[in-house]
Amino acid sequence: MSHLKNKSRMFWTAARLSAVLALTTAGVAKSQAAEGSGLGTADAPVQIRMIANEAFAKQWQTNMVPEFNKTYPHIKVTIDGVPYAELLPKSVLDLTGAVPTYDIIIADDPWIPQLAQTGALLDLKKDVANWTSPDYDWNDFNSAPLAAGEWKGAQYGVPLRSNLLLMFTNKALYEKAGLPAPTPKLTWAEYFQQAPKLVQDTNGDGKPDAWAIDTYFMRDSLTPTIWQTILNSNGGALLDKDNKPAFNNEAGVKALQTHIDLLKYAPPGGVSHGFNESLQAFRQGQVATMFMWGSVFKGTAVDAATTTLKPEQVGIQVMPVGSKGPGAHRGIWSGAISKKSANQQAAWALLQWLSSKEGEVWHANTLGVFPARKSTLAKAPENAWLVPVYAALQQGYDAAEAGQMWRPRHPKSDAVQQILADETSRAISGEISAAEALNNAARKIERLRL
Amino acid sequence: MSPATILLLVVLAYPIFYTLRISFAELNLGTFEADTWVGWDNYLAVVENDRFWNSLKVTGTYLILALPLQMVLGFGIAFLINANWKGRGVVRALFIIPMVVAPVVAGGVWRMLLDPLWGLVNYLLGFFGLEPLDWLGNPSLAMMTLVIIDTWRWTPFVTLIATAALLSLPRDVFEAAQIDGANWWRIFWSITLPLLLPIIAATFIVRWLGAVKMFDIALAATNGGPGQATNVINLFIYEEAFRSLKFAESAAMAMIILVLTMVLTGIFLVGSRKLEERQ
Amino acid sequence: MSALLSPIKKRRKPRIGRYVRIISGVFACLVFLFPVFWMVLTSFKMPRDIFTTPPTFIFAPTLETYTSYFFHADVPRRMFNTVIVAFGAGLVSIFAGAMAGYALARIKLRGAATIGVLILLSRGVPPIALAVPMFLVARNLGLLDQHITLILAYCTFLIPYVMWLMRGFFKALPAELEEAALLDGCTRMGAFFRIIVPISMPGLISTLIFSVILAWEELLFALVLTNRNASTIPVAIAGIAGDTVNGANWGALTAVGTLTVIPVVIFALIVQKWLIQGLADGATKG
Repeated sequence: MSHLKNKSRMFWTAARLSAVLALTTAGVAKSQAAEGSGLGTADAPVQIRMIANEAFAKQWQTNMVPEFNKTYPHIKVTIDGVPYAELLPKSVLDLTGAVPTYDIIIADDPWIPQLAQTGALLDLKKDVANWTSPDYDWNDFNSAPLAAGEWKGAQYGVPLRSNLLLMFTNKALYEKAGLPAPTPKLTWAEYFQQAPKLVQDTNGDGKPDAWAIDTYFMRDSLTPTIWQTILNSNGGALLDKDNKPAFNNEAGVKALQTHIDLLKYAPPGGVSHGFNESLQAFRQGQVATMFMWGSVFKGTAVDAATTTLKPEQVGIQVMPVGSKGPGAHRGIWSGAISKKSANQQAAWALLQWLSSKEGEVWHANTLGVFPARKSTLAKAPENAWLVPVYAALQQGYDAAEAGQMWRPRHPKSDAVQQILADETSRAISGEISAAEALNNAARKIERLRL
Repeated sequence: MSPATILLLVVLAYPIFYTLRISFAELNLGTFEADTWVGWDNYLAVVENDRFWNSLKVTGTYLILALPLQMVLGFGIAFLINANWKGRGVVRALFIIPMVVAPVVAGGVWRMLLDPLWGLVNYLLGFFGLEPLDWLGNPSLAMMTLVIIDTWRWTPFVTLIATAALLSLPRDVFEAAQIDGANWWRIFWSITLPLLLPIIAATFIVRWLGAVKMFDIALAATNGGPGQATNVINLFIYEEAFRSLKFAESAAMAMIILVLTMVLTGIFLVGSRKLEERQ
Repeated sequence: MSALLSPIKKRRKPRIGRYVRIISGVFACLVFLFPVFWMVLTSFKMPRDIFTTPPTFIFAPTLETYTSYFFHADVPRRMFNTVIVAFGAGLVSIFAGAMAGYALARIKLRGAATIGVLILLSRGVPPIALAVPMFLVARNLGLLDQHITLILAYCTFLIPYVMWLMRGFFKALPAELEEAALLDGCTRMGAFFRIIVPISMPGLISTLIFSVILAWEELLFALVLTNRNASTIPVAIAGIAGDTVNGANWGALTAVGTLTVIPVVIFALIVQKWLIQGLADGATKG
């Protein structure tokens, strides 16, 4: 496999050399020569390789790649899946090689700065501008998802799979409690007013069997995103302009305390619940609301194999409104290209196609992947279940943009998030107070010298 | 001995040297090589980090609880399942399964069993009129949970080795003792135990070195939480290196752990040699 | 036979003691196997039947958990890789480690003990610290994503264990055994293979089982050192558990978990034979 690939690489280097020679001697138009070789021909296809999250690598390989090959038949794409937890270190390690294995790297929201600081990523707005189609509309992207691929003024990634932390609601449980189904206007005050009524006994055996909320409470680097979003929707920020902690104050304590107070209305054992557990509790119809990544909507509301709920029972909307506005926390998967890749043009052809207006519509309609473009979100989706999702996404992008609701844009982003995870978990499990936890976290984050 | 030495030297020498080198340097993430020499800076950063000290404490607690429990249970169960009957071989083979189950799956299954909402364990406790326990959410209980899961997983290792050890005991010695009319306690204390001693010591050393490195079960069962209650040292180093990308500081931690492990292992070896010589 | 196996209780209450041991042994085994039973039970559940209150025992079983991820997660190829890597590493380490253990236990060579202790102490390095430099070396040598790389990496942590465990077993043997053989003109090597190895079969087999298991379930090195061709089952399991799109599919996870246990149990059942055989040989020769 790799042997073959090396051979084809050598071949293309040679081809490129001869193209350059041709350019200098005969003055052939450079773009044409490069295009002919960069995208492959029937006799000499180009091989590109991509590293991606195992959760969707196989789906892409079996569905997306054949669709891509309808337009670009001579680019062979291999996608290697890596478990989420190890994807970042594996990508960083690969980028550092003299001849990296991967041409394309798929990066989660906070990773672009960490990958870009290796100096091994292409600036997609500059370095490959020659190969960018004139109708590739950068301005059509919602600015929040596009910004996930940007760092220090360079656009290293394009949004391929967009996601937001949103509020899921079980309308049936709201009805049973005699409460109106929530709307995007729901405030935190109203939310906490209703929460006690949502802890209810639905089968009449005298014991509560449905609760108001389940979400991230356990020690996990994503748990702090819940109170970070609350902080943001109250107009606060995690770090100030100089990357100094700005959360160890009254606003921060209030946000974290709100997160802790949610636990009162969570099912027993909620303190050790995270992504998987809250998802299961919601899918079993045991909790009325869940703050969760929108991408789980299909498996939660539509797919009868994984959920007990029906689409009409499940609502999706932005998180409750704080003093500044509603909340939504950004989580975008961006595609980036290695600077040392020998097949930059083919790699960019794939990313461009998948994030183009047409590609994104196909991606959303066929695979149910969330889009980032305004034009896609404005069109009616083919699947009826995506209609409420699109509405929530558009609202969420606007909210995230207005409140800068994302993890720190810094090469040490994950280090910050780890520290917050520790202290958040200590506060949630009652070991220390919210104020104490935030002071500890601020002290440790300052020591990171961001 | 030489094949083993050469193999280990070839494969391990450079990685250990590399770790030592970057522990004194700033790592260039672009090349993954040492950039600038920073002296003891990384070590200072580690020593000043109370998360590191907390991890050491957590690891110590876990080791003190788990190791003796696993040794006693392991040898005890080996004695029980060595009783001669037809199903013995099957029982022995089945008993190794907890070790084989992938840590990720094992941690998840235990989470399922222990969850207060849908877990079987609290459901069964309910039949005895007991209050549901928050196995994973209560900081001190979470450590017990980790010890229970780890003991479930690694007692079979001790049993596996102990079974072989009991099988290897020379028969004639016991026959002679029995003819002499020694009672079972005397036989156990003055014949079985001394004969088993080298293997008990070896099993302990191997289990100790394995337990120091444990992080997969903690990662899958509690993710080091709640707070940092179960954040054992190797999980901490793993997170600092692979999540926070602080490779140089992780290397410094790895060197500190290497030295600590060497010292403690040395003490255990001297201790076991003393015991062996006493016979 | 029973005199041999139960030297302790036999003399006093041969019958009752034996039954108490059998029953409590089986009971201990059942307790330890309960989570395994739960894993197997879960593997036949649809996702909606797994997290129920109260826990479900009766449900419509499904095999979809087994089929859905079988090709999706590349189980056949990864299983094949796992077998090669685990048995390769297990056999190499038992060979190299047992010889080293024998040398440590019997041959009084200057420096041998020091080297032995150093080999053992090499296990003190946290594995995460080794994974990155090993990756860099393997990349420079063009050895990434190959079986041999994983086998070598696993040998580094198996050999010290094997060496030390086997040293314990050899130490427990009476020294007169090989001394007689050496007097008869056998070489050290000859004595080792002809006399020591057969009599130490229970120890060798148990240590081999242990080594194979450790390599079988290893995740960290497999993640870092392989991409596709040499990727093993634990990587597949970590991938299913880390599904950030739909949430972990516990039906599929426990199904793959169950599948990976089966080959090792079969292996352990097959080698059980030698556990007894070694003993019989040892008894006659001892």
